[in-house]
Amino acid sequence: MKKNENEYSIIVNDVYKRFKLVYDKPFTLKERLIFWKNTKVGYHEVLKGIDLKIKQGETVALIGVNGSGKSTLLKLMTKIIYPTKGTITTNGKLTSLLELGAGFHQDFTGRENIYFNASIFGLTAKEIDARVQEIIDFSELGEFIEAPVRTYSSGMYMRLAFSVAINVDADILLIDEILAVGDQHFQDKCYAKLEELKRSGKTIVIVSHSLPSVKKLCDRAVWLYKGEVREDGNTAEVIEKYLEVCG
Amino acid sequence: MLKELYQYRQLLKSNVRKEIRGKYKGSFLGVLWSFVNPLLMTLVYAIVFPFLLRSSQPHYTTFIVMAVLPWTWFTSSLAQGTNSILVNGGIIKKVYFPRSILPISIVTSGLVNFLISCIIIFIFLLFSGIGFSINIIFLPLIILIQYFLQLGIILITSSIDVYVRDAEYIINFFVSLLFYATPVLYSLDMFPQKLSMIMQLNPLATIISSYRNIFYYQTPPDFLMLGYVAILSLLVLFIGIKVFNKLEKGFAEEL
Repeated sequence: MKKNENEYSIIVNDVYKRFKLVYDKPFTLKERLIFWKNTKVGYHEVLKGIDLKIKQGETVALIGVNGSGKSTLLKLMTKIIYPTKGTITTNGKLTSLLELGAGFHQDFTGRENIYFNASIFGLTAKEIDARVQEIIDFSELGEFIEAPVRTYSSGMYMRLAFSVAINVDADILLIDEILAVGDQHFQDKCYAKLEELKRSGKTIVIVSHSLPSVKKLCDRAVWLYKGEVREDGNTAEVIEKYLEVCG
Repeated sequence: MLKELYQYRQLLKSNVRKEIRGKYKGSFLGVLWSFVNPLLMTLVYAIVFPFLLRSSQPHYTTFIVMAVLPWTWFTSSLAQGTNSILVNGGIIKKVYFPRSILPISIVTSGLVNFLISCIIIFIFLLFSGIGFSINIIFLPLIILIQYFLQLGIILITSSIDVYVRDAEYIINFFVSLLFYATPVLYSLDMFPQKLSMIMQLNPLATIISSYRNIFYYQTPPDFLMLGYVAILSLLVLFIGIKVFNKLEKGFAEEL
């Protein structure tokens, strides 16, 4: 039984997520007291009963049109937000790449930011020391690593951020639509690295609109449609069905 | 929760460092301001209050400096700590990490500042001729109690501030009120027994008095009162953790 549980990296169990839409949000006490009846509140149901089990070592793509709940599901998995109903269990160290360079300090150098960013992912100083050269090499920033991040171009910025996140050595990697940035050379390198991680048995969940690259990388695709799982299975088949409807 | 905090200790460390270094960034004196500020305040009080109170307290400057410094730790931690979740909204929405790191690093950076500013107290003790006594060994205990009390309060205020932004201003008011109810510029024995008993319900009154006991009067702290404050602090901390754990789940959506 115990072993059975460990087989899965992520278990999403009947998850609902409802966002409260508050117009004229009362931020102050006065507004709260005076307008407590007048606040217009709407609800937006983003996820409606998602059931998903992702096995250890699986590479899963979440596909779907804008607003279908892909990013919300990813955010729920990282515990940035919490489900309205249902549970999500994750097994193992988890790193998410929802937005690149979150938590970068503009005035710090690239090297300092590596330390800062990696510590946000839960690494200790020693672990970062061991990886820092690898991260710098991967980012191909060279001597710019000693310059403040605010002097970076957006491509350099993104390369550094991606290099940190991908070298964290997590068991589960969640990636949200970020591989579209960077030049062809770096993109290829990122996919090569993802392939490598995949081979080493990491679990990867990726949200992407770039279907060809998803098809190459992932063994499984989940098509979300209006907050529900519409299709789940072999990547090529799911994408084909998806394209029939939405293409 | 503790296990997770231990895993993220590097983040805590770099955050504390950032708080200490980053606060006075761009100013000439830099970190020194953390000490110049309370010293200047002490100077003002030392000049003004002897006139107002006609206080007969010998070594009045030394008498207040050992209260102004822990008081500064309290107020600055409370002010920054209450804001700590709000100002880090951007990163909270994008990455997961134990949110409690933010308030913890505020109180801890304040602790580091206070430990350094204890040197100032020692210098005053030395030059005023009061000197030191063995009772200084109780200093870590008092500091620890103050640390837990502040952490508990800030866990509550920082998480509430996300939902009701008035919290900040209400707290500011209470802090300035509390300043007069806490024996920073005077000592409790100026008041009749009954009144000073009531004033000691304020945990900070006991904490400040305890600092004064060990440094100025060179006696052990009032262990009965300090014990009450210690229990109260742990209770506040416990409630703080509960409140924070409950409210943190909505942070990313509310910010």
